[in-house]
Amino acid sequence: MFHCDVVDIKNISLDKAQKFIESHKCGASLFFIGTVRNHNNEKEVTGITYDSHDAMVKKSFEEIYNEAIKKLDLQHPVAFVEHAKGYVPLGGISIIIAVACKHRKQVYDFSRFIIEEIKKRTPIWKKEHYKGEDAEWLDGQKLEIKK
Amino acid sequence: MKIKVELFGVCRELSDKDHIDLELNENSKIKDVRDQMIEIVKTKFPENNNYLEMVEKSAFSSKDEIIEDTYKLKNNDAVSIIPPIGGG
Repeated sequence: MFHCDVVDIKNISLDKAQKFIESHKCGASLFFIGTVRNHNNEKEVTGITYDSHDAMVKKSFEEIYNEAIKKLDLQHPVAFVEHAKGYVPLGGISIIIAVACKHRKQVYDFSRFIIEEIKKRTPIWKKEHYKGEDAEWLDGQKLEIKK
Repeated sequence: MKIKVELFGVCRELSDKDHIDLELNENSKIKDVRDQMIEIVKTKFPENNNYLEMVEKSAFSSKDEIIEDTYKLKNNDAVSIIPPIGGG
């Protein structure tokens, strides 16, 4: 069972994630929450604007979920992935990855796999805002074409 | 023919709008879009090689599919430029 979306920060919600992953078939659940921290590259960060190619992001999330099920031999996998879009202030939530499975090892592996793959291949971009300096788009990783 | 290039990430700095309209020859491919984008960067940011490198490293997509430089375009196609990514 899977849910994913790209949402405004006002709509990113742990309650929604918790309700989605509740299952009596699962003995373990895990929440990963990414938040905006106050420093990067020796600069004082005040917020991040996230840009997203929504259609490609959702497709990427679905591919990652399906690959995780195949690679990690998960039992009763449930995952909820939402990424924020637009301006997120310091301390705000940029991403929620909530997963549930039969056993605890599976949820750690599942959650880690999802976030690491998102970093590698999901078309989302960050523009960091600084105290007293111009905002900057952060360097990223070239998207590889699957042959 | 007319091609709309939707801008994302750092490529948004190339225009005040969320896209750039290009006029290309018939039978053009994504490589021709990339070449025109490079010319736009050279005009807009003549002293900043970061933007040039960014366009050279960018992928392109049609809807939700990545397309290669050999992809053949049709009149009024809309494609997206996908600069190096970094979410999460």
